[in-house]
Amino acid sequence: MHKLSTKKAFIAYFAFGWLLLIVADRVDELRVYQGATIAVTTLAIASIILLTGYSGQVSLGQGAFLAVGAYAAALSQTYWQSPFWFTLLIAILVSAAFGFILAFAAGRMSGPYLAGTTLALAVGLPTLANQFSFLGGETGLVYDAGLPPERFGEEFTLYKWFFWIAAFVVLIAMFLLRNLLNSRFGRTWKALRANSTAASLCGVNVAQSKITAFTISAGVAGLAGALLGMVSIVAPSAFPLSLSFTIITGAILAGVTSLLGSMLGAVILVVIPEIADVIAHQLGDSEKITTNLPGFIVSVLLILTVLFSPNGPAEAMRKRKEQHAKH
Amino acid sequence: MRQLIGTLLIGLTLGSIYSLMALALVLVWRSTRVVNFAQAGQAIVTTYIAYEIVTRTGVFWLAVLFAVVAGALLGAGVEYFLMRTLFRHVDEGPVAALAPVIATLGLLGVIKSLVGMIWGNDFRSFYPPVSTDNFVLFGETIPFSRFNILVILSTTVVMIIFSFIFQRTDLGLSLRAAAFQPEIARLAGIRVGPIRTIGWVFAGVAGAIAGVLITPNDVLSPASLDVLLVFGFVAAVIGGLESLPGAVLGGVVLGIGVSFVLNYVGTTLIFPTVFVVLLLALIFKPNGLLGSKKVRSA
Repeated sequence: MHKLSTKKAFIAYFAFGWLLLIVADRVDELRVYQGATIAVTTLAIASIILLTGYSGQVSLGQGAFLAVGAYAAALSQTYWQSPFWFTLLIAILVSAAFGFILAFAAGRMSGPYLAGTTLALAVGLPTLANQFSFLGGETGLVYDAGLPPERFGEEFTLYKWFFWIAAFVVLIAMFLLRNLLNSRFGRTWKALRANSTAASLCGVNVAQSKITAFTISAGVAGLAGALLGMVSIVAPSAFPLSLSFTIITGAILAGVTSLLGSMLGAVILVVIPEIADVIAHQLGDSEKITTNLPGFIVSVLLILTVLFSPNGPAEAMRKRKEQHAKH
Repeated sequence: MRQLIGTLLIGLTLGSIYSLMALALVLVWRSTRVVNFAQAGQAIVTTYIAYEIVTRTGVFWLAVLFAVVAGALLGAGVEYFLMRTLFRHVDEGPVAALAPVIATLGLLGVIKSLVGMIWGNDFRSFYPPVSTDNFVLFGETIPFSRFNILVILSTTVVMIIFSFIFQRTDLGLSLRAAAFQPEIARLAGIRVGPIRTIGWVFAGVAGAIAGVLITPNDVLSPASLDVLLVFGFVAAVIGGLESLPGAVLGGVVLGIGVSFVLNYVGTTLIFPTVFVVLLLALIFKPNGLLGSKKVRSA
């Protein structure tokens, strides 16, 4: 596939960001809120793409890293009165440190062991909030990005402000991630994923590379968590096990090896509940159907994707092109 | 002293149920090299079936029978329809190694949402066949009930039947051979395909019994067995993920550990403790208490 140069990519990201701002001005409040959710989800999915699609490790508990990031950000705001941008930095650092420790302990794990361990983490971590009173229990912590600056005018709503922040941060993070994945690190991870024995014979330090990938992925997830905390709340209920599953699903749906796919995955995840609402309405609005239909659709899509296009649409297209070229 | 004995007894009860779930996971892992996260989903379906029968007829054993049969059928169905399709389609690419994990995860989601659509997401209580009230001995309450005795007895019986099948019958020999060396087993005339399905059937049965036994002490909801899944996995890893006796031992060790934390520390620290136990097991006993010397790679 033809890759854009860094400069061109920067211009593309910038133009896309500008487009988002213009669009955000023209749509209603709900759409702006959904836009913010899409931005946050995109970043969370990107952390999985880095981890699973590139370094070949699977994490079923990415929600736990989101929680760590969100709590770190909220705590630093509550107890140190840190400015908002600094809380985001704290979220990245703490979450990455947490990921590093875990990766160090779990460094020798692969496949199902890592999957199960991260799953246990996602189940267990949110319960800690009830154990320590400074974590705020079920109600959680207060975390906000402050009001939008006054010069934007009266009509500038809070959600639009959230969207601006989320979109801005996510675009920067995605741009940096893109460069990272195109760099030596990205190539090393791909080599690892394809064949770790061959990679180690070529001089790649397998354990170290895997730990690096896990750490960076945790940091990215932590940033996504802080943004999620800003848009919704910082409480155990915001980081259930289903959040981790949702993130994985988004990554697989859009093709786990393409960073840009993460945006597609996030859009699908936000659109599905809307579609499910319409279908549930057709089926007579029973409460059982309405609450369970979104999860059902997402899970069915997940299975179908794994069965028929496991590497995502992007990879399938590339394969077809290669076959085409051979003839 | 009284509290200590109570803790041990509760630990044994919990542990025997975790053992059953761990057994289910190990059986599937040995037959197809997949950690079946959908095991909790399969078990929740069979538990709801048992729930319907208990509320309608009041006969607990009939409910267990139905749950076991349903568990066996579900296990076979999942292996035959999902896993075989999966292995036929997915053979290369970056996701190939992760595909089974993700597929079982998707299946868990499908089953849970279907169960939610049929029975709703509200909590139900599952009436036990015998009392779950604690015994009173010399005027003091011991945190142990008739139902707990029933749990321990029935899991022991299940374990004995399982180990008889695995150690003393031709079927058990084929199962072990197919798990140990599929290619050689095939050359020795074992039809590895059907044997794999049978591994899933046994796993389905073990999971179904675990679900029916843990629910009367708990509540029933589409997500109520997720925790059992995590504990079962940890127990299986403690035991080595390859070994059936290891799974049982891992379950009992974990059950007693959880019971101690419950009684002496508090409910909120259970999950962190289990997680730390899992990490310690992976760091210090990476092959499990009873696992083989083989390096863990998937």
